[in-house]
This record gives sequence, C-alpha cells and structure tokens, in this order.
Amino acid sequence: MSLSRSPPSPLTLVAPFATTAGGNGRRHQLLLPNRSWTNPNLAASTRVGGGASVRCMANQRRVKMVAKQIQRELSDMLLTDKVLQYAVLPEASLGADRYLSSLTTISGVEVSGDLQVVKVYVSVFGDERGREVAIAGLKSKAKYVRSELGRRMKLRLTPEVRFIEDESLERGSRVLAILDRLKEEKLSSEGKDVKQLEPLNSSEQDGDGDMDDEDEGIIYIK
Amino acid sequence: MTKAIPRIGSRRNGRIGSRKTGRRIPKGIIHVQASFNNTIVTVSDVRGRVVSWASAGTSGFKGTRRGTPYAAQAAALDAIRTVVGQGMQRAEVMIKGPGLGRDAALRAIRRSGILLSFVRDVTPMPHNGCRPPKKRRV
Repeated sequence: MSLSRSPPSPLTLVAPFATTAGGNGRRHQLLLPNRSWTNPNLAASTRVGGGASVRCMANQRRVKMVAKQIQRELSDMLLTDKVLQYAVLPEASLGADRYLSSLTTISGVEVSGDLQVVKVYVSVFGDERGREVAIAGLKSKAKYVRSELGRRMKLRLTPEVRFIEDESLERGSRVLAILDRLKEEKLSSEGKDVKQLEPLNSSEQDGDGDMDDEDEGIIYIK
Repeated sequence: MTKAIPRIGSRRNGRIGSRKTGRRIPKGIIHVQASFNNTIVTVSDVRGRVVSWASAGTSGFKGTRRGTPYAAQAAALDAIRTVVGQGMQRAEVMIKGPGLGRDAALRAIRRSGILLSFVRDVTPMPHNGCRPPKKRRV
C-alpha cells in the first residue's frame, strides 16, 4: 500500500503506525504521516512488509544547500584536521612545515535525492605518485570522515561518503595548454610570412577571438 | 603599510612611491587567497612588497561566477602577465584558504612557464584563539 495523492482515510493513517509496533523499528521514526497529498514537492513511498524501508525525497533546494554545506565542511576538515592531512600527505607527519608535494582540493560534491549517498569529487595537484597516495589515503579514511561529518553537521542520517577522483581540472588545463601552444605557433608562422606590422596586429586579434570562444566552451565542474 | 623606510626629505618632492618600471625581479612570491566566493592572486617580491595583483572580480567575472576554477585561472594569468614581462622566472606559491581557486590557479601558474620552486599552504590556523562564527543550519 502506498500513500497516493488523496486525502487520508482512517485506514491509510493507521497503517504507518501499525508497523511501528510490529516491525524491527530500524527507521520507523521516519514514518510520519507526511502530507504528500498536499505538497507536490515531497514524494514519499512506504512499503509495508518484512524490512519496511522508507524513502523520502527532500526537495531540490535543500539537496543543493546540503551539498554546499558538506563541501564547506569537508574543505575545512582537509585544512584543519590532522588525521585527514596525514592520510592525504604522509610527510606532513614528519614535520614538513607546510612545504607541500601535492595539493588536494574538493572540487565538487553531489548528494543523492534522499540525502543518503554523497559523492565527493577530489582533485589532486602533483605528480602521479602523490595523486595515488592522496586518493588512497582519503578512501581509507571514508568512515572517519563520515563520523566527523555527522559530528559537525546536524543531519538526521549522516550520508555515506564516497571519494572519486576528479580529472576535469587537469583535462581543462591540458586543453588550454594546447590552445596556447597553437596560438603561439600560429603567431610565429604568421610573423614569418607577413613582414609588416598592421597585418600582424589584425591576426593577433583574430587569434584572441578564437581563443576566447574555445575557452568559454570548457565547462569546469564546480 | 610598506616595509620601506621613508627618507626624511622626500615629502617635499610630492608622492612617495616606487617607480613603476625598472625593478627586475627574477624570483618572487605568488600569494593565492582562495575563498569559496572569490580568488585573489597577488604577486610580490621575496620580501613581500607587492608588485601586482588580480582577482576573479577584476578579471571580468561577477557574482557566483567568481568562485569558479575558470575565474581563478583567469585571475592568475592576469596577475602574472605584468610580471612575466619584467622577467620573473621562478616563484614560490603561498596558498591560503579553502576554495576551488587553489587548484586552478596553481595549474594556470604552472602552465604559464614560470618555474614553481615551492608550494606552501599558509592558511591561518589559530592555536584556539577567537571564537569562530556560529554554525550554519541547513
């Protein structure tokens, strides 16, 4: 039986409370008679059965706000928390005095609709080994991060945290480097062909126009 | 507040200021302050006297777009443009704050041909001093 968009009859109202008495009681405190028939943003479905699980979808604006707040908290944790810093950059524990070999940044956070799973996109600046060490360190501390997040943020259920490596910044940087090189080659070749000043200036301006268009086509994941 | 010691007789000459051109700095420091909403890139010499600066806001971005990594990279390129002409080859980068500008500005600096000697993180860390602002409620 699912709650459809109709005013509640006595039967539908009794059923959620009936399962709290009988079932395992894992998430039954969430089985409030939520008014899905009045509020179209909030959709809920309940399944009465062996393991009565609840899936509540928060509205989109709240999901965005939670994602932004999680990003702030995680970035702050990366800066201040000693455990995380040693996981990401092992030589910090030896007292490297902030001379970094790699720099880790949280480039984006995606939260699922029911606020249960969080995908954290991490971008690491540094060489290949530093990147592997940083990502492996973060993945090993996923449970610790989850408990810290629960301590810092007031959420009903702390979401599961998954770390994913984000290569979009690196890719964008490579593309821009290629574009710069092409522009320079074009300029130098045009400089060799035409030996006067005015045509050179106009070709530079054309090159800049092309560069700007291609730059704007690149989308960085925020 | 500059670190220069003012000469006593210099007030009569008008403005006290360093000359715009003529300072050759082969090695400098690039400070990147990356907050969530903006990125400020400042180029200074080794002692800390500022040569030029640029931010995502001055590079033509407004509002929420200032916080994006592309804006941070545009700011870094703007700030470096002045100094590359003056012949800076090596630089040390000091990064402050969380934010997407950290990564993007670093990549832009490396791409521009300046040699990065060190990357340091100088985010101010209190030894439990002032009370931080209250927690945001979501």
